[in-house]
Amino acid sequence: MPKFGRRTFGKIEFGLFTLPVLIGIVLAFYIPFFMSMYYSLTDWNGISKHTNYIGFDNFKQIFSGDANFASASLLTMKFSLLFILLSNVLALLIAVLLDRNLKTSALLRAAFFIPYILSLIIVGFIWKFIFSQGFQSLAEMTGWGIFDWSWLGTPKMAFISVLLVSVWQSIGFYIVIYIAGLQSVPADLLEAATVDGAGPFRRFRSVTLPLLAPSVTIAVFMSLTNSIKVFDVILSLTGGGPGGSTYSVSFDIYRETFQNNLFGYGTAKALVLFVVVLLITVLQLTYFKRKEVEH
Amino acid sequence: MRENKTGLIALELVMIAAALLFLFPIILVFYNSLKSFGEVMRDVMALPHKLTFENYAYVWKYIDYPKLFLNNVIVTAVGLVGIILISSIAAYKLARTKTKLSGLIYFLIIIPMLIPFQSIMVTVLKLARDLHLANSVWGLGIQYWGLGAPMAVFIYHGFVKGVPKELDESATIDGASGFSLFFRIIFPLLKPVTATIAVIDIMWIWNDFLLPLLMVNGSADTKTLTLAAYTFVGQYNTDWQYTMTAVVMAVLPSILVFILLQKHIVKGVTAGAVKG
Repeated sequence: MPKFGRRTFGKIEFGLFTLPVLIGIVLAFYIPFFMSMYYSLTDWNGISKHTNYIGFDNFKQIFSGDANFASASLLTMKFSLLFILLSNVLALLIAVLLDRNLKTSALLRAAFFIPYILSLIIVGFIWKFIFSQGFQSLAEMTGWGIFDWSWLGTPKMAFISVLLVSVWQSIGFYIVIYIAGLQSVPADLLEAATVDGAGPFRRFRSVTLPLLAPSVTIAVFMSLTNSIKVFDVILSLTGGGPGGSTYSVSFDIYRETFQNNLFGYGTAKALVLFVVVLLITVLQLTYFKRKEVEH
Repeated sequence: MRENKTGLIALELVMIAAALLFLFPIILVFYNSLKSFGEVMRDVMALPHKLTFENYAYVWKYIDYPKLFLNNVIVTAVGLVGIILISSIAAYKLARTKTKLSGLIYFLIIIPMLIPFQSIMVTVLKLARDLHLANSVWGLGIQYWGLGAPMAVFIYHGFVKGVPKELDESATIDGASGFSLFFRIIFPLLKPVTATIAVIDIMWIWNDFLLPLLMVNGSADTKTLTLAAYTFVGQYNTDWQYTMTAVVMAVLPSILVFILLQKHIVKGVTAGAVKG
């Protein structure tokens, strides 16, 4: 085969293999993304064909006069911080316990994983039932005050409920990541530390934890990207209530766009979310990568 | 290292109790779906006096369960097969081609992993309507191709690098090339990653809510399982015997599959996260 023909052939083949994915990704991400940039500068209402260019008015509005967006951002930040903290600390604790030589380790790991395979919307409904009906009858049975609290009725409790249910749903995932990390910690290192007289806590802090850094990076990254997008659980558990106190940023964008028909304004908010998420994830990844140790 | 035997047994018992408590909400929902409304209201904790399947018969008919189940299967299958096909061939070619263009394309493909879906959902919906992909289960399935491809390409790409290049060369000598080389020689070797990607994507697409809500919520014929459960619970609100039955019907397939394939699912999810 002549050389020229083969090179052209190679290029055509490269195109045939990569074009389908490129088309798919351009349609799924790049075109919508640039459309969003355009529509964020308009007063598009989602229905009419005619839209007006209004410059940066949407963005000015977001940062100056939008109390909903401000409170939703605050709630999302609070939620993300607490979610990352709670799910990682609890998951690491359970992972350490399951990593001991328990007979039922595999079974227990599976048990903690089950909520993670359920859709978040459904998880919200399950807990709505527990909080309203289950707790009522538990209060009658036990007489404990904790079951009499209004778990979905006050802004503060509704927030805590959303947080706890979210942790409940996904903790199995983080447990599994940490168990995989713990199993890759070399046993001889731990034994050497024991010989040197280190107790279990000292061993954990000085040997296990530093070697676990890659798992921590992944788990924190995943919990960050998931919590910052929180939407489904809120929709089915509290519906954003009571009195709009549990609207997250995603929920706010959803409402603004599809319930208030402010499509242009909604896309502007969505772009703000994008920039913030991008900044935070890049910062988090570089910070944690720097802290990982080589082994 | 010698472990303290009694301490270990005590720990085991504590952990089993904790796991049971952890799963209690699901157990509670299961057995309350077998009660009548009066029984649910009288005492949620009590076990059903006699098992009634009337709730199931009612919800099954009302939401047209077989239709929903079929819709979910179509969306998930269309989405998964597409993601696997387009991502595996592209990742293979990109990993094997060491040019600037190839590197740039790879970068452009994986960078959308950082874009949260919520930040583009409004225009995704507009584009889908313009392309006539909205309001159809097949169209919904197709939309997952692009959305799922960045992560799939990323995971495949890392794995293909570990597949020896000599395999391609000896296959070329034997006369195989292009797609036939890939699907006969390379693709079978990618089985472990394909399994990982399949587990992650099936869980994602099967349970997804927001995209179906935007795309196929208009008609009862195109709803997915989660979407229908959402609508149903919204309508029946405090008829807990019905809503909890709908919840069980929505989650039962996932739980059964999980019990059967538990080890593979946990392994797949871990591998995906650790590589991703």
